[in-house]
Amino acid sequence: MGAWRHFPIFMITLPLLGAVLLPFLGYARERWVPYAALLPLGTSTLLGLLLMGRIPADGFLSYHLGGWEPPFGIEIRLDYVGLFLMLVVCGITFLALVYSRRYIGKEVSGGQRTAYYVLYLLLSGAMLGFVATGDIFNLFVFMEILALSSYALVAITGNRNPVRAAFKYILMGAPSSIMVLLAVGFLYSATGTLNMADLARRIAESGYTEVLIVSYILLVVGFGVKAALFPLHMWLPDAHSIAPSPISALLSGLLVEVCAFALVRITFSVFTLRSSDLVMGTADAVGVAAVAAVLYGGIMAILQKDLKMMIAYSTVSHVGYIFLGITAFTAEGLTGAMYHMLDHGLAKACLFLCAGNFIYLKGYRRIEDLKGAWSQMPWTCFAFALASLSVIGIPPTAGFISKWYLILGNVKGGKWLYAVVLLAGSILAAVYCLRVIYYMFFQAGKEGAWEESWRDAPPAMLAPVWTLSLATLFFGIFSSLLIPSLLKAAAYLL
Amino acid sequence: MQESTFSVIPLLAVLLPWASLLAILAFPKRAERLRLWLCFLGSLATFGVVLSLLPGVLDGNTYTIKLASVVESLEMRLTVDTLGYYFALVVAFLWMLATVYSMSYIDHKHNRFFAFMAMCESFMLGCAFSANMFTYFIFYEMMTFGSYPLIIHEETTMARRAGYKYLVYAIAAGTVLFFAIVAHYFWGDGQLGFGSYGVLSLEFASRAALMTVFFTYLAGFGVKAAIMPLHGWVPDAHPAAPSPASALLSGVILKAGAFGIIRVCFNVFGADLLRELEVYVVMASLACITIVVASVFALTQDNLKRRLAYSSIGQVSYIILGLAMLAHDGALGGVMHLAHHALMKGCLFLCAGVILVKTGKKNISEMAGIGYQLPITMICFSVAALAMMGTPPSVGFVTKWLLGSGSLQAGLPVYIVVLLASALLNAAYFLPIIYIAFFRWEGDEVDEHGERHHPKLVFGKEADHKLVVPVVVLAALVVIVGIWSNVPGFPYSLVSKVVNVIFP
Repeated sequence: MGAWRHFPIFMITLPLLGAVLLPFLGYARERWVPYAALLPLGTSTLLGLLLMGRIPADGFLSYHLGGWEPPFGIEIRLDYVGLFLMLVVCGITFLALVYSRRYIGKEVSGGQRTAYYVLYLLLSGAMLGFVATGDIFNLFVFMEILALSSYALVAITGNRNPVRAAFKYILMGAPSSIMVLLAVGFLYSATGTLNMADLARRIAESGYTEVLIVSYILLVVGFGVKAALFPLHMWLPDAHSIAPSPISALLSGLLVEVCAFALVRITFSVFTLRSSDLVMGTADAVGVAAVAAVLYGGIMAILQKDLKMMIAYSTVSHVGYIFLGITAFTAEGLTGAMYHMLDHGLAKACLFLCAGNFIYLKGYRRIEDLKGAWSQMPWTCFAFALASLSVIGIPPTAGFISKWYLILGNVKGGKWLYAVVLLAGSILAAVYCLRVIYYMFFQAGKEGAWEESWRDAPPAMLAPVWTLSLATLFFGIFSSLLIPSLLKAAAYLL
Repeated sequence: MQESTFSVIPLLAVLLPWASLLAILAFPKRAERLRLWLCFLGSLATFGVVLSLLPGVLDGNTYTIKLASVVESLEMRLTVDTLGYYFALVVAFLWMLATVYSMSYIDHKHNRFFAFMAMCESFMLGCAFSANMFTYFIFYEMMTFGSYPLIIHEETTMARRAGYKYLVYAIAAGTVLFFAIVAHYFWGDGQLGFGSYGVLSLEFASRAALMTVFFTYLAGFGVKAAIMPLHGWVPDAHPAAPSPASALLSGVILKAGAFGIIRVCFNVFGADLLRELEVYVVMASLACITIVVASVFALTQDNLKRRLAYSSIGQVSYIILGLAMLAHDGALGGVMHLAHHALMKGCLFLCAGVILVKTGKKNISEMAGIGYQLPITMICFSVAALAMMGTPPSVGFVTKWLLGSGSLQAGLPVYIVVLLASALLNAAYFLPIIYIAFFRWEGDEVDEHGERHHPKLVFGKEADHKLVVPVVVLAALVVIVGIWSNVPGFPYSLVSKVVNVIFP
């Protein structure tokens, strides 16, 4: 057993450990906290990269915590898709953390800064654990850590609006947590185990009982709220637009996707009777909701006047994309959904950080204020444009590749209507993204809105933004790095 | 398709225009002239690189280079085959002339204009060299968005509106096209490549499925190729864009749509399948309607560039009509018209630009006597306009002749009637311009001595050389290519190779 088998657990525990230690450092040397916080996340990213290639596309790594055999011990079960998503999480959280130092330094008052980084690391660690865990109770635990830290992060500035948005988030989030907990309880009472692999075996043996049906639906609804699937998305636009920009990037770019992924795990690894009426019926319902999400999110995004609000509604729409990929039940569709998690994460994070740049420098939040922004903040504007192209799905960005597979997957699954909806969604995306680009580049700004001199955001903020936007391009052109393995892994999952 | 040799030259051709971009970035604002000349050098070098492939292509070689791949059946690959090379040659040549012209014509925001010019050239060459529909679509979409800043360059309200319309049409078309390609991939068994006789067949997919693929392709490309009723953006975009950009729009960007349709007909479906599916009837009818109706619309326009734009809509449909004949001469004439029209319409738009720069006149009714003020320009204009009507010896005549012969081969002489009607209408809207330019002038009433005073002809002072030279070169080529079409590198030498394979 090589040392690399221990990497996944380190990837999860390092950020959590960092969160525990960080307050002490904050007490002694507050200025060092933003740098110190990078350490655990950077290490996790590195470990993840080292792990890449060790896990075969059609297999998984099962790690038993403390050597206790499952189903009694805690199991970490990492397949290729999970590792892929963990890496996405690591990369984006790391970049948004780099970005945070300047942004949070200005937005958040002194005492809260350390708290911000602690919560940030908690959120990151929880997301990583959430993806990797092979145990349904831990799934719930990580979801709670993730939810609680994100409530707090939305409200971190302590102003009136953020607190209200966070409260709205809690109002939706807490019942959903309870649903998941109930479902976990039901499952345990019905099968007597919490380990996912074990659960799958017992469910396959026992067939479907009413308890299982109820718990599956509870899980779908519970995670559906966290993943902001229409019509359970109401908390999202407020929370995502009002949170500090790096947090918006995390919530929009990662959190909803991680929760969507949890549903993939539940559906494909636990309730493995795929052809059953239960799963297919739910999938139909989810598909309809996803169609509504794509269209509703797109139209609402077009109607927004506030930039971050627009990006947030765009997320509602793109969550619909992901779910349409999952409900296609084809390897291509699932690959499209997974790849969309990557490129949507990158592009959305980039857009929110760009929006953050405008807020940081000028305090501009409204789309109209961005007229002529190009003249002063060219770097931010170009990165924004590039990420927007990925959101629309224009080649050669990564968004195009994922759109290709999402549509191909639906076509192969015989769902032509969904394919058309996906195309319609990208037209809507074109409308709301190109409007902003048009304002930035081709409209003259208001008198005095922009000074003559060039004063773009500081390099520490531009570097993450540009890394993200170039990554959307990179993963579009070099999609062959991941797609073949993802296709294989998706076929394995199915 | 025959074995192809690996070569980096296609990639080089696609990348070279970006050198202009570097030139723009590398030199300070003060070195304006230097930068412009470097941009020109970039386009010249690109043309040179494309030209260097000519001997090999004439020998029947194909060159290929793989750029990237998603999975095995989905790769980005550049391949130089005869058809693609032919289009690339047209693109690189017209682009070079338009760049020279722009050096004098563009008077503000040079950086943006030249940067996007260069980018669009790169993407267009990418389109021409694409080895499969996937690659074609990628370059096509980038080109679509890259040409937007060219259209709105003047930043007037009209230009903005035209740009908006352009984007709406382009995005809708791109979406339909995307759907077409996915459907093609799905029903074509993962074959997106271009085969010499087509790759789809009724073995893999049903009739309805293939019809769907074909019509979504036709609709997707038809927006760029301005097939009525999908032409709405064309008459707005052309007058709004600066003249070199309009020349490129009409000359090659519209042709990217037409070229896509050529690829779909020749290399995706193949003549036999098209005949079997009987879709050519729809294509031909749409083309005929477009040819006649666009010409009638052109008659009513007073704005010169708008009239030219309507003329382009009609002329591009010649290509579609030629393809739809499914006969040797028809296809030959249609595909050759791609270059022919680029030469003629390029010349006409550049002339319109000279008129605009020197006199500020946009409307035909204001142009009385302009031939005396701008003799060289207007002579070139007349040459190109006469060619558009199909007067021999010119490229327009070659097209008309071949299309006429093709319609007889296809056994449908009704097309000849359409062609003649179009020639007549072309005469009806071009001759008045020539007449007004040379035979009318301000104060041309008879004076008390019963004489009319001609204004003086002034040669040599009419405009900057950078404006006049491209115009003259194009006008000369309109005649030369029309007479010696078989010179290596001229349209016949290349297109006949392709068409002879498909229609032996």
